[in-house]
Amino acid sequence: MLKKVGLVAVLAALVSVVVATTAWGSGKPRVLAAATASVKCGTKVTIGVAYPATGAVAAAGANQWDWALTAKKLWNKSHHLKINLVPGDTKLDTDASFNIAVAHTFASNGSMLAVTGPAGSQENQDANPIYKGAGLASVSGSATRIFLTRATPGNPLELPHGYFFRTVPNDGEQGDAVAKFIHGTLKAKHVYIIDDGTSYSTGLADQVQADLKKDGLNPGRNHTTTAVVDYSSLITAIPNNTQVVYIPWQVAGNAQAFYQQSHAAGKKYKVFGSDGTDVPGTFEPKGVGYVSGFPVDFSNPTVKAFSKAHSGPETFGIPTYTAVWVNARAIQMACTAGHGKTTRTAVRKDIPKVKLTKAQSLLGFAVQFLKKNKGAWQGYGDMGGAASFGIYHVTSSGAYVRVG
Amino acid sequence: MHFLVFNVIDNIRSLGWSGAFQLLRNGVVLGSLYALIALGYTLVYGILKLLNFAQGDVFMVGAFLGYGVLTAFGGALNPEIGLVPLILLMFAAAMVGSGVLGVSIERFAYRPLRNAPRIAPLISALGVAFFLENSAQLLTGGYVYSYDALELGGKNGNLGPLESPVFSVAGNPVTVVQVFVVATAVGLMVGLMLLVSRTRFGKAMRATAFDREAASMMGIDTDRVISYTFFIASMLAGAAGVMFGLYIGTTFFFMGFLAGLKAFTAAVVGGIGSIPGAVLGGLLVGICESFAIGYVGGQWSDIVVFGILILFMFVRPTGLLGSRAIQKV
Repeated sequence: MLKKVGLVAVLAALVSVVVATTAWGSGKPRVLAAATASVKCGTKVTIGVAYPATGAVAAAGANQWDWALTAKKLWNKSHHLKINLVPGDTKLDTDASFNIAVAHTFASNGSMLAVTGPAGSQENQDANPIYKGAGLASVSGSATRIFLTRATPGNPLELPHGYFFRTVPNDGEQGDAVAKFIHGTLKAKHVYIIDDGTSYSTGLADQVQADLKKDGLNPGRNHTTTAVVDYSSLITAIPNNTQVVYIPWQVAGNAQAFYQQSHAAGKKYKVFGSDGTDVPGTFEPKGVGYVSGFPVDFSNPTVKAFSKAHSGPETFGIPTYTAVWVNARAIQMACTAGHGKTTRTAVRKDIPKVKLTKAQSLLGFAVQFLKKNKGAWQGYGDMGGAASFGIYHVTSSGAYVRVG
Repeated sequence: MHFLVFNVIDNIRSLGWSGAFQLLRNGVVLGSLYALIALGYTLVYGILKLLNFAQGDVFMVGAFLGYGVLTAFGGALNPEIGLVPLILLMFAAAMVGSGVLGVSIERFAYRPLRNAPRIAPLISALGVAFFLENSAQLLTGGYVYSYDALELGGKNGNLGPLESPVFSVAGNPVTVVQVFVVATAVGLMVGLMLLVSRTRFGKAMRATAFDREAASMMGIDTDRVISYTFFIASMLAGAAGVMFGLYIGTTFFFMGFLAGLKAFTAAVVGGIGSIPGAVLGGLLVGICESFAIGYVGGQWSDIVVFGILILFMFVRPTGLLGSRAIQKV
């Protein structure tokens, strides 16, 4: 009996020594190893795409994935170095554990050189330490909260420079454009704002509310969720003198349901959506609607081909297309410099060097990342240059016409 | 907390009686939809003591079946047949389709577990719910589909006849579709009560619910009775799905999840196993949710609804119209 106990004790001690030795050597050096591990570029490289494939905003995620696939198809057609996209379902804001699991999966994928996404601002904040630890930079096509690139009083720490980039203008830019239009062009005095509970929506709603308050207005505020589609009581709560209802929602179909139910209830206010609802053919507040969105050139052959293939010009995912293109370009630059081999660190350092023309980005403006703060809300990782949001009026036939 | 209370008082004052009526109207209509789904929960629980968590997703499937018929006949903006036959076809497809789905679920997911511990069919029910939800998401791409019901039958983008007012109270219209939803829920409840209390089949259902083994020994084909019960319960959910599409105007893969949970709350609040209780519970949940949104804020609706569930579990666990069951030991 004593012999057995002794044997077990010795074995346990040996195991502990092995584990301790491994652990001693597996802290920073292992992290650094992932970032600096040499990856053969060969003819195909891997980019991860973190997006909400399922969950309440799966429709928006599907659009992002469709655009990512479009980017892959076009890139592979015109480049010797092909890209392979690996999807990761984060479920956006449903449960942070999915996003974290995707981050770990990507981080541990030795062949992965860059990440597109995640979609949500909170997701980026949660996953960034994991990506940073693995030497990966993420380029998001839809995370718009200002604090990700520029510290704000409520969020003093932006994400570490060089590990987060975005191919979408942030809430400050969109919110500013929207507030200016509502107050300056529409001359509305009574505004009501409803967010859908997602971090995207809440951030944008907060920004527009703050900007309108600076203009001397006192907008009403309410909330809903992406799972709710009966807005009858929410509509009842809107004061009768409301002139504009701003709904920066993630799901265009929900925004359309809100407009239809408002119309049925005899309400006369204008319905103003955001880039999340910028889906011609789905969000159609005919004659009484406005939408802020990217100044996309709908006559662009790529946009036209996408519209034809998907029965409509869904533009929400275009920045994801741009993000994939940025990642692919950075990997190509790094592979060329490394003569057929590269590391995550090298790719990450090449991302800020990527420049896309207006035609290449599809966004309606050129893409070039900032390396320092600019203006009131832009910071490292934001797009510089003439990044802007267009304001579109939805005509009585459902067409989107740019008015701002 | 003070801020919240002042906010609520302010909202009550600013909305006034007109707003209060609108919230009551909205709540009754929404509650009627919950009641239809809750009737299904209560039927199945009554006969099998099983909480069929897939009921909400059967409701979702019903909504999509109705949408399928609508688009097959040209859609709301250009229907190829008259409004009444179109709506009847939508209901027929949704109710029969959902009924068949319900029977299939019972046959393959619950029947094999009939003699297993109670937790097994419950877990199976949850599995079926997730299966249906994710299947729908894959098939539909996760998009929100618009019934465009508000313009159904209308011309040149104007509101259709479903949105015509039937009567008004203090200037607030009650529309055709709103009356239709409430009347259908009440009508189906009465029909169900008559079926259970006045028909041979209803007697067989009650016997099976009371003691399945004894009922079987008395010559009742309990498997068939249970299948028919699932068919009826799922038909009700399918009907609710189409009415939801006609009233709210949309359908999407995720709609069954929250609706199912709230309908379950309604069934419990009303007294699980009680048919009038399910309707009463549905109306109560719908009205409370509506007033919570209107007076407190949209983010409070789920807190209020599920808070009611917890409250009833503490104060009256048998629900409003449920009865205490005496168990022989």
